[in-house]
Amino acid sequence: MRVRDLLWRAVRERPRHLVRLLGWSFAEAAPSFASGQAIAHALDDGFAAGRPLTGLAWLVVLAAAWLAAALGARQVLLAIAGIVEPFRDELLRRVVEGTLHRAAASGLRTDSAAVARMNRQVELARDSLGAVIAVVRSFLFSVVGVLLGVMTLMGSVLPLVLLPLVAGLALFLMSLPAMARAQREAILAEERTAASLAAMVDGLRDVTACGAEDRVAAGVGRDVERQARATGALARLTAVRTVSLAVGGWLPILMVLAATPALVRQGATAGIILGTLTYVAQSLTPALGSLVQGVGVNGVRLVTALQRIMSTSERLAAAVAAGVCVPKGMLLRLRGVTFAYGPGADPVIRDLGLAVRDGDHLAVVGPSGIGKSTVAALVAGLLRPDAGRILIGGVPIEELDRAAMCRARVLIPQEAYVFRGTLGDNLTYLAGGRSRADLDKAVDAVGLTDLVRRLGGYEAEVDPSELSSGERQLVALTRAYLSPARLVLLDEATCHLDPAAEARAEEAFAARDGTLIVIAHRLTSALRARRVLVMDGTRALVGTHEEMVAASGLYRDLMGRWEAPVGADT
Amino acid sequence: MSDGLLFEVLRRSGRWPAVYAVTALAGAVADLLLPSALGRAVDVLVAPGGEAGGILLYCVFLVVTVVACDAVAVLAAGTGGAQASRLLRMRVVRHVLGTGPAISRRFSAGDLVTRAGSNAEEVGAAPEAIITAGALLVPAAGSLVALALIDLWPAVAFAVGLALIGLVLRAFLRRSTAVATGYQEAQSDIASRLIDALSGARTIAAAGTEDLEARRVLAPLPRLHAHGMALWRVNARAGVQAAIVVPLLQITVIGVSGFRLAAGEMSVGDLFAAARYAVLGAGIGSALGYLNRLGRARSAARRVREVLDRPAVAYGDEELPAAQGAHAARGRLELRGVTVCAEGRPVLRGIDLTVPGGAAVAVVGRSGSGKSLLAAVAGRLVDPGRGEVLLDGVPLRRLGRAALREAVGYAFERPVLFGATLAEAIAVGRPPGVARTAARAASADPFIRRLPRAYDTPIDEAPMSGGERQRVGLARAFAHGGRLLILDDATSSLDTVTEYQVARALTEELRDRTRVIVAHRAATAARADLVVWLEDGRIRGHGPHEALWRDPAYRAVFQVAGPSPAGAPAAALGPPRAAGPVPVAERA
Repeated sequence: MRVRDLLWRAVRERPRHLVRLLGWSFAEAAPSFASGQAIAHALDDGFAAGRPLTGLAWLVVLAAAWLAAALGARQVLLAIAGIVEPFRDELLRRVVEGTLHRAAASGLRTDSAAVARMNRQVELARDSLGAVIAVVRSFLFSVVGVLLGVMTLMGSVLPLVLLPLVAGLALFLMSLPAMARAQREAILAEERTAASLAAMVDGLRDVTACGAEDRVAAGVGRDVERQARATGALARLTAVRTVSLAVGGWLPILMVLAATPALVRQGATAGIILGTLTYVAQSLTPALGSLVQGVGVNGVRLVTALQRIMSTSERLAAAVAAGVCVPKGMLLRLRGVTFAYGPGADPVIRDLGLAVRDGDHLAVVGPSGIGKSTVAALVAGLLRPDAGRILIGGVPIEELDRAAMCRARVLIPQEAYVFRGTLGDNLTYLAGGRSRADLDKAVDAVGLTDLVRRLGGYEAEVDPSELSSGERQLVALTRAYLSPARLVLLDEATCHLDPAAEARAEEAFAARDGTLIVIAHRLTSALRARRVLVMDGTRALVGTHEEMVAASGLYRDLMGRWEAPVGADT
Repeated sequence: MSDGLLFEVLRRSGRWPAVYAVTALAGAVADLLLPSALGRAVDVLVAPGGEAGGILLYCVFLVVTVVACDAVAVLAAGTGGAQASRLLRMRVVRHVLGTGPAISRRFSAGDLVTRAGSNAEEVGAAPEAIITAGALLVPAAGSLVALALIDLWPAVAFAVGLALIGLVLRAFLRRSTAVATGYQEAQSDIASRLIDALSGARTIAAAGTEDLEARRVLAPLPRLHAHGMALWRVNARAGVQAAIVVPLLQITVIGVSGFRLAAGEMSVGDLFAAARYAVLGAGIGSALGYLNRLGRARSAARRVREVLDRPAVAYGDEELPAAQGAHAARGRLELRGVTVCAEGRPVLRGIDLTVPGGAAVAVVGRSGSGKSLLAAVAGRLVDPGRGEVLLDGVPLRRLGRAALREAVGYAFERPVLFGATLAEAIAVGRPPGVARTAARAASADPFIRRLPRAYDTPIDEAPMSGGERQRVGLARAFAHGGRLLILDDATSSLDTVTEYQVARALTEELRDRTRVIVAHRAATAARADLVVWLEDGRIRGHGPHEALWRDPAYRAVFQVAGPSPAGAPAAALGPPRAAGPVPVAERA
């Protein structure tokens, strides 16, 4: 969806508020129509004619117009709120959904600073949309009010006001694209400077340790320099822009004055001239000024913020499992699977073939970064292989129905996810409607009993930041244990547990119905497994522990190192 | 002291503040003269047979002056402010880099970014704020005078009305802050829910629960909406009150002037001028607002000053002695009576230690025993309060910065990487070829080659686990520390296999360099030539690992760090030793 469509929809979708906005705008515009008239009559019929009470009466009319305008302004503001607040809700919804989907699809972490940044963009978009609506609307109504007022005062004055106004507006519109570019560049430059300052401060220790002070100063300096240039360019354009204000706002005053002798000859009174000048000086010039300022600054801010929001809220297509099939059985098969993280990168997995029967227990062993987690992600359908196929129950996983896929397998990654909510909600996240007895059984099997007791049962609220990494992993493991999935993928999911707790959890999963694949953090995981997949970077071998000791140099080396170890290593 | 900084900024912004001051004041004066000129023009022109020429030209002149001054003032304020904040910012950046990590103990990261970022900008804009306040006060105060000169009565009416504006604005500020708090709370509730959910991105992806999560994150949205609407209502009410004051003020002035007109004391033109002066005079509110900004600029200047007042690290200009012969021991590290205090409490006390060139020394101890500080002092990330650290006989304080950083390489538990690409993040100024060799020694080469653009992958596009990041940090240290490598818990996130590979590189390829390794694992200590055991900031024991191992207190250090594997084959405790003579370390 494009920015323009989004804006158009925001305004169009609230017809009630739109009507309210336009209706009350008439009231708000009352003074711009009434002021010149009231002043003209107050003078000509009142003060100048020696009837000060009549003059006063006209001023009371004017005051009443201002009061009406104030009430109108209040209603207008509330109507704008009625449009802008739902717009903010909609943007926030897009940002949250988009960020979640993207994080899930790409695996790239979004840090808290990025979340704060997006929050600011949403607020900025809300505020600037409100400002733009207010300014454009008030300008339109003021202009109409002034023109009507001038016309009723004396028709022949109208061109003297209208022509410069149109010229000023044209100048403003012509300057707008360049202004928008400069404003946008200034906003981006400011953000870049802030980001590079933050990076510098975060890395102070490391920068000092590398003796890279001058390099980093030069790098930050480039961003600071660019920001200064962008601000300067913006100032130059703003200076030029004041010309459009001069033409549209000041020229009518001078033209009316110049034409005054002629107008007087046509029958204009002092009141009429003063009324016209009041219209221009009081209503037209300020309205044009706020339009220039409001659209020139807030409009650009709005568009920039929205473009930002759109780009972060676009959804990426799910990697796989977009079909409609349901797996027949749980036999997992990989055929000639090759995967690389980019066209310029070495493949992480090359021509991997593997079959894992239902009920098997496989450990994946190898140095970290060698592609063990990639295997888990491929099998879970989070990544799509560049070549080869992955089949579950005989069906290629890209043809599986996503919901069926999610029911068939569960992946627990290293970074355990626990959310704010009750412990029970956390545990039944993947399996609704489990009985308390089921929960008790799972908790007992995985080894979560102590934590449940400490927190105060399943109804207790959990604050993830108050749990240790190991406790969070136990919660995630119990959740996986309770899920209906027959294929369990533990991707270093026990790395923060002590070895005894890890053994207990892994054994619980081994005893559970179905297949277990463990990406090993410690080599003990291999000893517990029925079969071992060893990845050494050039090839992958699979077999029992004994077969691997015989076949794989790396495995032998690792086990030798580890079985005749060098101290109380964990 | 903070005003000194403001004056300095003013002085160094070149001619722009002067240009701004002149144009702003000239514009203000023209603004002030315009209403009376227009009023006079009306009087002259509506009079039958009035001679237009002179007064009309005067009005044109004033309007042109107002517009031209406005344009030049905008340019001068923007350009001058940009230039001033650029200079000030660069000065802060260089200073922060010069003080090094010491400054982060005084200011938090976010605080420092604010000071160098928006505070520096506010200070840069200070000249503008001072001049604008002055320029706004001129027409505002001048209008009052002009009004009084035209006629005293409208001036009195105006002064009474003005007092009302202040009261209304004050009431508004009080009310809106209370509602804003509720809004911000709902907002940060949503943000923290989102951050929580993002930390579980892989779990959510695998479970296909993105939509469920979005609903959970957005649960406080109705609350946010309600607070938002309440905020608008408060704004609307206050805005209405503020918006009505100026017009009513003006109408009052016109009314009073009208009676004076009827009495023949004022002309039509006078009435017009009085009405305009009433509007201009109401601008005194925004002039006061600018004075407020000046107050902010002063406090910003104080905050920037506090950063600039932190002492920068002073480096000497000496070089290290060249190595004698290809295999001569280089990198002899000596600590003599080193004492370091943190927050007034000694963390290291009187450390005497000599590490022969090319030796590997493990530093162990319970957390809080001063291990990391010892590592920081050994390569001059921190200067000792008392005592001296020497590398190959040269006190570190006397070494030039380049010489020091070429000789010493640091790897940390949580390295922060900087530079455009991974290759740059490792080489940091060294030739690019160095990156690959160093990455191989740190077992980082295989995973880097598997990244989307291998060594050219931008850092923020490289998905790295904690262990992978540590390996890049190790590679960076290997690329830099020509004589001394200091590893501060730098292999803690590596799995057993990788840790073993890195340990092998440390004992083979890198054995010509002195290595100081802060370690939690007994295995790491066992591989070192010498172990320094710290307790409460003092050396409790030193010697080979197997000698110390007999002491139960020494063994207890490692039991805290991590329980021994249960259900695993029993671990024999004799560490394998490298063949050949073991470098001996002695206490000085």
